[in-house]
Order: sequence, then C-alpha cells, then structure tokens
Amino acid sequence: MSVQKILLYPNPNLKKIAHSVDKIDPEISELIGDLLDTMYAGPGSVGVAAPQIGVNLRICVIDVSKNRNGKDNNHGLLVMVNPEIIARSGSGIMREGCMSVPDYTGDVERATEVTVKFMDGNQEIVEIVATDFEAVAIQHEMDHLDGILFLDRIVSLKTGLFRRKSYK
Amino acid sequence: MKNKTKQNVVRFALTIISKDRPGIVADTTEVLYRLGCNIEDSSCTMLGGDFAIILIVSHEKPFSASVLKDAFREMHDRTGITVQLRLLHDDEITASDNGRELCVISVYGSDKPGIVYKVTRAIADMKINITDLNTRLVGTEEEPVYVLMLEAVLLPKVSLDDVSKLLEKLKKELEVEIGVRIITPVAL
Repeated sequence: MSVQKILLYPNPNLKKIAHSVDKIDPEISELIGDLLDTMYAGPGSVGVAAPQIGVNLRICVIDVSKNRNGKDNNHGLLVMVNPEIIARSGSGIMREGCMSVPDYTGDVERATEVTVKFMDGNQEIVEIVATDFEAVAIQHEMDHLDGILFLDRIVSLKTGLFRRKSYK
Repeated sequence: MKNKTKQNVVRFALTIISKDRPGIVADTTEVLYRLGCNIEDSSCTMLGGDFAIILIVSHEKPFSASVLKDAFREMHDRTGITVQLRLLHDDEITASDNGRELCVISVYGSDKPGIVYKVTRAIADMKINITDLNTRLVGTEEEPVYVLMLEAVLLPKVSLDDVSKLLEKLKKELEVEIGVRIITPVAL
C-alpha cells in the first residue's frame, strides 16, 4: 500500500464512468489501502475516489473528522464501495476545490443531507445518513465515480445573485 | 494561488469599455489570437448599457507593445472599440492568499451616498485586501436599494469577529444591513 499520484484534469480517466466492484478481494483491499494512504497524504484532503488514482472502479474513501468543517459531525473513516445515494434533501452552497483540478475553486450546490448505501471494506452492506460537510464530501467523491468534476456543477457567476435589470 | 510568474513572457493589462453589442469579446480576442497572445486572466461583464472587459494577456519575449497597439488601432478604426493597454512589471503578477481565510461581506439597504466608500475604507484600515467587489442598484425607482457584495482575504491576525464588530458600527451609521461570513474553499 502506498501513496498514489493524483491524476489531474485533462487526464481522460477522470471523465469515465467507473465500474462496479463484485467483492472485496485482496486486490481491492490493497486498492483501498492506496486510497487511504493517498487521502491522508494530501494536504487537507478529506476524500479520494479510485478514478483519481487511475483505477476505474466505484470506490471512494472519505474522512472529514480531521477537518474543521466536519470534525463535530461525521462518521469517521468511510470506505465506500459501489455507493448509491438513496435519499437526499436540503440544499447548500459551498466553495469547493479538488485535488484533480488545482488552483481553481467554485461555488457548488449540493444536498445537505444524503442517505447512502454502500459496501464497506469488510464487504458488509451499510446505510448511513450524512449531513453538512460530510454530505458534501460524499457527493463530491461519488461524482468522480461518474466522471463528474465540480467544474460540471458550478452554479453561478457571483453576479447571478441579483437578476440584472435590462438596459436598452 | 500559486505564483505563476514566468520569466520569458511579457504581460499587459488590457481594458475595454464599449457600448454593448454582440461580438465585442470575439473582435478583441481575435486580435489577440492572431498575434499569439495568451489570455491569462479575465473579467468581463455588463455595466449599465456598456460591456466592460479586463484582460491580463501574455506573449513570449521578444514582443513589442507597439505590435499590439497597432493591431488595436486598426480594430478601433474598423469596429469603434477603444482598448487601453498597460505593460505589467513582473512584480505586479504575484498573488498569494494561500492558507488565508476568505470572507464575503454583503451590504444592502436604502440607497444613499457613501456606502461603498465607508465600507471599503473601514476594511482598508484593517489592512484587509479586497479580491472581488460588485455593486448593484436594485429595488424600485421610488425606493432604490443598494447592494454591495465583496470578497476579501483576512490577515492571519484578523478574525471574523473583529470584522463583524467593526462593521456593526457602520451598520448603524449607514442604516444598512451588513453580513460577514467565511467562504474559504473546502479541499476535497
């Protein structure tokens, strides 16, 4: 297990739809280990998805417990294999940045509460309700499994807040 | 932001304010494209009935400003668009707000003189750097409402509370609503 290089856009692997995982075998366990090492090595990183290290599988790891936005409200380390959002509610905007798109941030609207069903690292099916920053992190990492970057979701030019008057 | 200064390029700040019509950006950037200039940063928006363009453009050295000036003079004769050009020095390019808190300050209330001045003076006196600012006059003709939104980088010693306290005074003086909140990007 080791820290892997994070792929940067325009690497085409970041825009692919990832494949489902059948079972947790030693190879998948090693991949999960790589994802964890890579996440904890990234400065302030709270999640990594397999496509970001060039593996086109539906796996991501998330841990917001050490981040000031998530330290009071989290599930600790989450290893998510084939995650699915089965319910979502609320809406909030956060300025997101991504290790795969350095030097750029943008305001993204996300659900503030998500119910996620996934297989964990022990091949158990788990269901959790995540809120606030953890919910945002989960949605951001799960987007990587569908080849979606936050750039695809930026909602507004700052000036969109107030509708412009029409000038003649 | 990283320091992206490259030593082998020459940079210009370019501003255009022109009566709005379709094609202003295309006309301008066509000139830049044909001369091999790169657009490194830009902000373009409608202001009143005019369209305003601010660009930072670069070109590999050697490159003479007169080439750009001539091309834009020709464009002016053809399209009526006037371009202001300024050569940038290398030390004007750097920007570093790494690790600093970013906040948004929103101000709104009945329109009156001095809203922008008094708010930005108070912020400047705290040595807080504004990175983005927009204002808009909204509401009705009878009751115009002024809206100011700005983003600013806080110095390490300045907390959100300090800013809030300072602006609380202004809130009473100007009879406007003022909100401050942190919008530091989250790294995912």
